[in-house]
Amino acid sequence: MRVLIVEDEAALAGQLVAALRSAGFVVDAAKDGEEGFYFGAEYDYDAAIIDLGLPRLDGMGLIRKLRTAERNMPVLILTARGNWQDKVKGLEAGADDYLTKPFQMEELLARLNALIRRAAGYSSPVLEHGELKLDTAKKDVRVSGAPVELTAYEYKVLEYLMLNPNRVVSKTELTDHLYEQDFDRDSNVIEVFVGRLRKKLDPLNPIRTVRGQGYRFFSENDG
Amino acid sequence: MKAGIQTRLFFITTLVLGSCLTLAGYILDRSFKASVLAGAEQQLRLVTYSLMGVVDFVDGRVSLSAELPEPRLNQPESGLYASVQMRESVRAWRSPSALTSDVPFPEHVLAMEPGEFQFTEVTDPAAPFYYLSYAVIWGVDDGTVLTFTVASETSAFERSMRDFRRNLLLGLTAVLLLFVAAQFLALRWGLSPLRQMADEVRQLEAGEREALSRVYPLELQGLAENLDRFVEHERRSRSRYRNALEDLAHSLKTPLAVVRNALSSVNGSLNGSGHGSSTELLREQLARMESTVHHQLSRAAVRGPVVVGSTVVLGTMIERLVRALRTAYRDRPIDVTQQIDPELRVRGDEGDLMEIFGNLLENAFKYTQTRIAIQANRVAAGIEICIDDDGAGIPEHLREDVLHRGIRADEVQPGQGIGLSVVAELVSLYSGTLSIDTSALGGARIRLVLK
Repeated sequence: MRVLIVEDEAALAGQLVAALRSAGFVVDAAKDGEEGFYFGAEYDYDAAIIDLGLPRLDGMGLIRKLRTAERNMPVLILTARGNWQDKVKGLEAGADDYLTKPFQMEELLARLNALIRRAAGYSSPVLEHGELKLDTAKKDVRVSGAPVELTAYEYKVLEYLMLNPNRVVSKTELTDHLYEQDFDRDSNVIEVFVGRLRKKLDPLNPIRTVRGQGYRFFSENDG
Repeated sequence: MKAGIQTRLFFITTLVLGSCLTLAGYILDRSFKASVLAGAEQQLRLVTYSLMGVVDFVDGRVSLSAELPEPRLNQPESGLYASVQMRESVRAWRSPSALTSDVPFPEHVLAMEPGEFQFTEVTDPAAPFYYLSYAVIWGVDDGTVLTFTVASETSAFERSMRDFRRNLLLGLTAVLLLFVAAQFLALRWGLSPLRQMADEVRQLEAGEREALSRVYPLELQGLAENLDRFVEHERRSRSRYRNALEDLAHSLKTPLAVVRNALSSVNGSLNGSGHGSSTELLREQLARMESTVHHQLSRAAVRGPVVVGSTVVLGTMIERLVRALRTAYRDRPIDVTQQIDPELRVRGDEGDLMEIFGNLLENAFKYTQTRIAIQANRVAAGIEICIDDDGAGIPEHLREDVLHRGIRADEVQPGQGIGLSVVAELVSLYSGTLSIDTSALGGARIRLVLK
């Protein structure tokens, strides 16, 4: 999952980046609204965390600008003021949730996960496709009730594909969303992960290869 | 309340005008009467002169040498009578008109000096007369003095005086009425800028306008401009104050967030190494700082009811909040029903009102199971708003504490204690009341009455 953080306070931004990375997210951080817009318009994100009080372009303006540019990733706003006028205006500008500073990192992660899940159309933290269950909160995968041991990267691939069902996801898109930019971008690595993942999910086979384009998570619920 | 300016001006000018007109009427009446009397005297004098022309006095008797010059003197009871009397004699000549009626010719005129005219008005209602007597030395040799007296009934003169008085009264009344009407219009027109200003100030108070209009007459222009400047100054200083507070909030809360996060990672890595208790202490103190900063800043940011306030359309504001909360609580299918008159306006600062309803509605969203019902009604004390949910409700023994002390009734979902106590303070600042009850839906009913 690739997340954009726009926060001008260096210390807080550093903590956010560290916490999100250790939770398995790929993170980009911007220091002000303009830089945030540059990142947001340039790359494809699964979610954005935006502070309302930003230099150059404030959070509200940034959200509006992103939405006008048809960037529809879920947005979580952080506000120090915590007054309702700001919250309502932020949500009206196109944000999806708000968190008042100071906040607990656990709560932020929970809200962020819920936003990403919701954007994919799931209302429960447990993603279910037939016999396959993935609990995003516990990072636990089960096939027909039996636990499946996955490595962190295998889990990330499966989660990303399940959050984008019935859609062709290219190897580049997977790399972009699952790895930091300096990661070795050899697409063979992805193929290896997917191969191992398929074996572990056997007898289910929800991940199909679309020749020359990428992968598609085939939801059995949809036939 | 004191009488209005218009009433005062109207009262005093009408009083002054009324007295002036009464005085004028009195003077006119007196002058007219004087001129009527002068006319009557003149007329009687002419009759006297012509009578003197036809009177003969032979052997102590008065006779006529020719026809009487005035036909009315011959006509019985014509209203014009004459007598000629000789001094030292009770006998007198009387005109034929006086023969059948008993005209009380005055006796004292016999004592008059020759050559003297005397005009007398007798107002006795039984026989009101004007008399003109003239004494003359008739016989140069014997010094006989004849006294001519001509009497005229007053009725003709009185009639003309009555007519005059009636016309005078009608005329003056008409003038008075006309003046009163004109004055009323003049006052209305003259005072209309004041009325306009009062209206505009009322609108300003109600938040229906931003400033006074710029069309006041010279005398009020200064006042209007000063008022505008005052309003603008208040607005600016309030927004400056609020901005300063927001900066303060930002610069306090961000470091607090950093410290809290740093602390939790330290705690994670040092667990079991003996530092647990000191980080626990730090965490506790930090939580106290956070809640104090939050509580005090929320309180300080309150604008409260202002002199030049604004009104907020309740339904629209609640709709916005509900829509925002629905976005944030998209996961949970909550059925929200609203019964609010779309015209209903609440007086107060929009930020404050949003704080009140935002916190209350957020609580409802947090604690409800499936339903929230919001209704607003006009009541005697103002506007009553009830927010009901079907959650667990708030136990009776905790209700007071939750409202007044800011302690948390429920540790599971933090934030509510502080939120509700801030709301309670805000509401009391607006002289409203906030109470907690049990809802018919099964959960809590928050009942709010705003003026």
